[in-house]
Amino acid sequence: MALVRKEFLQLRRDRRTLGLIVGMPVVLLLVFGYAASFDVKHIRAELVAHDSPVLRRTLALGGAFTVASAVAPDVAAAREDLKRGTTLVAVLVDAQGRPVGALVDGSQLLAASTALRELQRLSAGANSVRPLPILTLYNPGLRSADYMVPGLIGFLLVQVGVMITALGVVRERERGTLEQLMITPLSRLELMLGKIIPYLAIAFLDLVLILAVGLLVFSVPLRGSVPLLLVLTALFLASTLAIGLLVSTVAQNQQQALQTAMFIIIPQILLSGFVFPLASIPWGVRWISYALPLTYFLPIVRGIFLKGSTIADLWLQVSVLAGMAVFFVALATSRFSKQLG
Amino acid sequence: MAEILLSGLRKRLGGAEVLHGVNLEVAAGDLVGLVGPDGAGKTTLLRCIAGLYRPDGGTVEPGNEGQLRLGFAQQGFHLYAELTVAENIAFLGAVYGLDRESLAARAEELLAFAGLGAHRDRPAGELSGGMQQKLTLVCSLLHGPAILLLDEPTTGVDPLSRREFWELIERLHLDGATILLASAYFDEVERCERVVYLDEGRVVAQGTPEQLRGEHASLEAAFLATMA
Repeated sequence: MALVRKEFLQLRRDRRTLGLIVGMPVVLLLVFGYAASFDVKHIRAELVAHDSPVLRRTLALGGAFTVASAVAPDVAAAREDLKRGTTLVAVLVDAQGRPVGALVDGSQLLAASTALRELQRLSAGANSVRPLPILTLYNPGLRSADYMVPGLIGFLLVQVGVMITALGVVRERERGTLEQLMITPLSRLELMLGKIIPYLAIAFLDLVLILAVGLLVFSVPLRGSVPLLLVLTALFLASTLAIGLLVSTVAQNQQQALQTAMFIIIPQILLSGFVFPLASIPWGVRWISYALPLTYFLPIVRGIFLKGSTIADLWLQVSVLAGMAVFFVALATSRFSKQLG
Repeated sequence: MAEILLSGLRKRLGGAEVLHGVNLEVAAGDLVGLVGPDGAGKTTLLRCIAGLYRPDGGTVEPGNEGQLRLGFAQQGFHLYAELTVAENIAFLGAVYGLDRESLAARAEELLAFAGLGAHRDRPAGELSGGMQQKLTLVCSLLHGPAILLLDEPTTGVDPLSRREFWELIERLHLDGATILLASAYFDEVERCERVVYLDEGRVVAQGTPEQLRGEHASLEAAFLATMA
């Protein structure tokens, strides 16, 4: 009984841990409740060749699709839009305003499955003589592995970047060895880089392992440039490692570091589009998605793997990710002090 | 010439003022003992001198700018328990910018000086408390600092190791190092040339052990008499 009382006393004094223990389930419940939805709505679609107000209304019926106001001039332009990710579905329309075919971006597994189902329903409802020809691009068989393995790279790198870095620094602080380093002539930047570079190397080793397993065991296609993948992964890692360092500046001990890291990692899994498509996440929590580096890295990694995307296709995500990397590195540097107080 | 110079040093920790305008001067080559009860502010004062704490008032020399001139053996064990004695020395030597040859020579010299030569391949975490303190001292001396700060270096160390440790300190002093040593034990600081008594963040008295002892048999007896 004395031990139980002592544990409660310790918990009561450690407000931060207590806050995380009590607050995290509530936050996760809210996030899960809102985000965990496989019902994809408002899939981005565009018409190709001709406009058709009737078809627009039909596609938008029930909220399955959100149709862009602009019409792609031809199939080549529609393919470009699909590759860039500005649309997930392109419906080819004839001069009479009837759908004569569709292209679907298969790299977005759940959205693509829903789109295919809705398009087939539309085709059946139109009482056409023949079903609407639909071509699924980038992941024609809608293989789960092709969708999940590139995403896993992002997920695992978040784990290594945030959790392992935070724990590494906090462990050093807890053992008192960080104090020893603080009295050396090492600059703050050297101290930070010295802690980050080993984990960067580990993260790249992880990346190579995942790539090898993905390509050799799961036969996931890698259609884009490997150097581009590595460079953009390094950019992503810069933000995750900086977040890890930030966690280490707020956590007093390894338990707090672990809980804070989990608090950051779990939303990245649920809200970044790793499992649930962004389109299915309500705006009440989707704004969180846009603050997460993984949200921008997933289209990059899936794009390079499945679509053979180039920097020209990914400039928006790369720009945001670069901005985030600069922001988080600057924030971590300003908070990471070489003094105890 | 003063190697350590504190003028009106103030430091707050956790909302409370720990040092209340401390003035202190340690000349080059001096061996000064800083004594006081637990919580007197000895560690805070040494950490301010080493640049680990930013003063809230007053000035500190050398402070944050003098880390190359300063060796600080902190209270407790702050080295890497998983690394061997030699690996800890190699790591810190590299951090201080020593090249391979200079580091090897310096490490040999210091290991022999501290009597740790036979233990170079043992993980630091497996050393006895006394040996860990010696290793801490060795690591703080690697870059040949002019000033040495020692924070309760013999706490928890057996009497034999304590005596050996003091022999090392006296040899360093004879070699010309400026040493400021914090201790809670009066008998230890009696070995110093000058003693500074710190209580509740203030310098209460300072002078040679003889001056402070006066007619009493020991420093401790003198201070107990003052307190009574």
